[in-house]
Amino acid sequence: MIKVEQISKSFKDTQILYNISFEIKNGDFVAVMGPSGSGKSTLLYSISGMDSISDGRVLFKGINISEMQENELSRFRLIKMGFVFQNPQMLKNLSIFDNIILPGLVAKKKSADDIRKRALELMKQMEIEGIGERDIREVSGGQLQRASICRAMINNPEILFLDEPTGSLNSAATDQVMAILENLNRDGMTIMTVTHDPRVAAKARKVLYIRDGQIAACKEFSVGVDRERELDKWLKGFHSRA
Amino acid sequence: MKLLLNLVRKDFKRNRVITTALAVFLILSALLMAGGLRVTGTMISSLNGLNELAVPPEYLQMHKGTYDREAFESFVETHDYIKDSQIVKMLNISNANIIYQGETLEKYLMDNGFVVQNERFDFLLNMDNEIAFLQEGEIGVPVYYVEELGIQVGDVITLHQGDYRKELIVSTIIRDASMNAALASSKRLLISQTDIDEISLHMGEWEYCFEFLLENGTATAVLEKDYMDAGMPSNGATVTGSLLRMLNNLSHGLVAFIIIAISILLIMIAVLCLSYIIRATMAEENYTIGEMKAIGFPRKAIAKLYQMKYIMLVLVAGVIGYLAAIPFGDFFSSSVIMYCGYGTDEWMKWVFPFIGVILLSVIVMLRCHKIIGRNLNSTVVGLMRGEEKIEKEGHYSLPSSGLKHPNLTIAFGELKCKWKEYLVIFLVFVFSSFLILLPMNMKSTVENPSFMTYMGVGESDIRIDIQYSEKLAEQKDAAQSYLENDAEIDKYAIYQNGYVQLQNADGEWEYIRVENGDASVFPLEYLQGRAPNDRKEMALSYLSASELRKEVGDSLTVIYQGEELLFTLCGIYQDITYGGKTAKAAIDFAEIDVEVYIIYLNVRDGVRIEEKTDELRSILTDSKITPISEFVSQTLGGIMDNMSLVEGTAIMISLLLIMLITVMILQLITAREHSAIAIKKAIGFSNRDIRIQFGIRILMIQFVAIFAGTVLANFLGEVIFGWMLSSMGVSKITMLVEPITAYLLSPAVQLLVVLITVIVGTKVVRNYHIRNQIIE
Repeated sequence: MIKVEQISKSFKDTQILYNISFEIKNGDFVAVMGPSGSGKSTLLYSISGMDSISDGRVLFKGINISEMQENELSRFRLIKMGFVFQNPQMLKNLSIFDNIILPGLVAKKKSADDIRKRALELMKQMEIEGIGERDIREVSGGQLQRASICRAMINNPEILFLDEPTGSLNSAATDQVMAILENLNRDGMTIMTVTHDPRVAAKARKVLYIRDGQIAACKEFSVGVDRERELDKWLKGFHSRA
Repeated sequence: MKLLLNLVRKDFKRNRVITTALAVFLILSALLMAGGLRVTGTMISSLNGLNELAVPPEYLQMHKGTYDREAFESFVETHDYIKDSQIVKMLNISNANIIYQGETLEKYLMDNGFVVQNERFDFLLNMDNEIAFLQEGEIGVPVYYVEELGIQVGDVITLHQGDYRKELIVSTIIRDASMNAALASSKRLLISQTDIDEISLHMGEWEYCFEFLLENGTATAVLEKDYMDAGMPSNGATVTGSLLRMLNNLSHGLVAFIIIAISILLIMIAVLCLSYIIRATMAEENYTIGEMKAIGFPRKAIAKLYQMKYIMLVLVAGVIGYLAAIPFGDFFSSSVIMYCGYGTDEWMKWVFPFIGVILLSVIVMLRCHKIIGRNLNSTVVGLMRGEEKIEKEGHYSLPSSGLKHPNLTIAFGELKCKWKEYLVIFLVFVFSSFLILLPMNMKSTVENPSFMTYMGVGESDIRIDIQYSEKLAEQKDAAQSYLENDAEIDKYAIYQNGYVQLQNADGEWEYIRVENGDASVFPLEYLQGRAPNDRKEMALSYLSASELRKEVGDSLTVIYQGEELLFTLCGIYQDITYGGKTAKAAIDFAEIDVEVYIIYLNVRDGVRIEEKTDELRSILTDSKITPISEFVSQTLGGIMDNMSLVEGTAIMISLLLIMLITVMILQLITAREHSAIAIKKAIGFSNRDIRIQFGIRILMIQFVAIFAGTVLANFLGEVIFGWMLSSMGVSKITMLVEPITAYLLSPAVQLLVVLITVIVGTKVVRNYHIRNQIIE
């Protein structure tokens, strides 16, 4: 689905990413890990077209999104991609329900009724059906993060990007979000997430370890293995090598 | 101190646009305040200087016809309060007989009197404010004509009557303390004794001015009463020193008044902006303030830290404003300087603006102190957690039918929730629109033919004045017979004007100008009551009725030719001619007492007023023929010239203001909404969409503000304009708006300016990268 070819990113005089290449296939669940400041979030934003790249290209189903105009890219993100951020980000003048349906209404791919139905389904799926009319400051962080996932999913995107989706959540909320991501991926959704949390990364099929702006290692899990143990072992081995 | 300055410098670097915009606001306020006061200082100095050097009379009685010189001298001798007196002989010459650059002065409304230099007081001064003396063959021309006709020293003025021609070379430009103002209906031209003697043999009509200076503290009313009681010559208008001062102040003071009024409004707006900016920028500093409080910084020190920037800003603005006010004020003072000279109290133009700037600085500093103090009241924890910032803004709902126009819906929705943030910009837009429209509407009102109704007569096309002749009746009859037979004339009416004595509220007798003629031909809208219907009724102008303290239905006692006549006041009308004090009644004046015959006429449809005027001028050569539009614009000439200057300045200031405020508010709002911008970008809105949303919000506010400003300019404008003209005799004025300019062109220009500013100002949206905003 996404082919990342030799991308580099620098900001002023600082090089953040160096010649990174990898591929995300349909239905993949890719986790990006690495120490703070290693460039993992930058990688996520560069691939999703939210941030520009200095060199290389990102192909989305063969389309080079790195060369798209800003307007074109916005529309592309609206329809093809979903985003979830570490701190749930929502417009404070809209209710939670309106925040969720807004991208759907702007995209105009479906009728308003269908968008509302879809939002209600997603909210039910995420177990937040009762909070739709509430203000974003009237719900818990976990509920808000699940609402963010609903919003990211409203246009049935082809890929879901998540930046530390459980970073600001307590463990109960983290478990809920992880379960949701797992279910979504099981239903065929392609996911790429940046995370510090090995439990979240263990839900992925592929883990990229970024260090100093480069892919230091890549781990693909075989079917049926205990991913958490396997990942723990891999990370330990990787850390000891480092 | 060095630390403070460093902090200020860093703060300026960080908030460059907002600080610059605020600085421009403050500079503009200081400039207008200092500029207005500089004009005021210059005006007071100039008028005082002219009055000191020219010594204008405190009481002046015009008179046509014969008089008893010995009786006058004995009157003066027997009244101790008369400090000095003189009789000035003035040779009135019809404008049709005065030629400048091949054209007669017929087009001009001014009455022109030729005089020689006075010996005792009421001197005509040259441009160096020295008493002007002329040689034979020379003429001194009033400043008014330099402005109106562009007459220069060295030009030639020719007088002609039949075969007689006299050429006079302009040797000096004259400042005339008595008749300087464009609002004064007569002008004096200075010539030598030999020339006046020669010219009077061939043309003109003598008029006499009996002029008086009074001992300190003597009211002119005392002299007026004694003068009338003694039966002194009084076939003509009476002019008091206070009326002369009023005319001068109106001509020159209006600009200063308007500039100061604008500056006061601007200061209010600047203070509002300042409050908004301080609150907005302080909100971002809450964490730092919390930290400073936490480590034990005294509250006073923190307040000083934040006040420093604004104190420096207002001081710099004050200095720049003061310096810029020098050319600005001088530009608006050029007229008063030209008419009156620099005067004797030049210190005023330096000290007045200085006081104004100090006052402005104090106001701004106090306001800063108060707002910053309020911001420091929160607890350390409250500040660091940003608790005070959390304010519910309210929600808007997305329509259930979907988003046909997403940007429009979101912009309106957000505006509904955040309207308080836009209050300042709304007020500035209202103010700017008001500022543009007020002088514009005043001008269009005066230029509208209906304005004639404020001059004591119904709407008409052309006015003919028959005066300065011993054969007034003959000329009137000639005009009448011509008009009667002219098929292009739709209707006309002849009015006799003369003076009668009227008893005022204190039982004293005053002279008043009465018009006698058929009021039904050009019906006039009365403020109260109606036009006189029979010989027992009299209508008074608003100013006359106010001064006489008379209401409709009251009785009026009038003396004409020694006989007491009793009238009932039947109506009150508005009139700005003849100092605003006139009356209408069916009094048949004896031929000798008729001051002037005025004929008003309407031409038939399709006949061009200008052509008819030219035609009448060529036929009725001894009469003054003026299209009404000219009459109005020349009567209010000085005011309207100043108004045009003010109009241009107001437009420039307003457009600059709306540009500044838009830039400033956009900077503040985009910075405040950085996370909302980032979210919108993340969920698929483009930069263009977000910029459009900001644009819709600002333009929507401006649209409503322009509407409010327009309504305000119409209603409040009527009050302001009425107040301005009230001293001239108008109490209630209806604005006659030029709809295309006021309702279409002016809003379009304002909207366009803001649109361009929004396009440029929202470019900053591009700089808010999703990643940076969200990671923050």
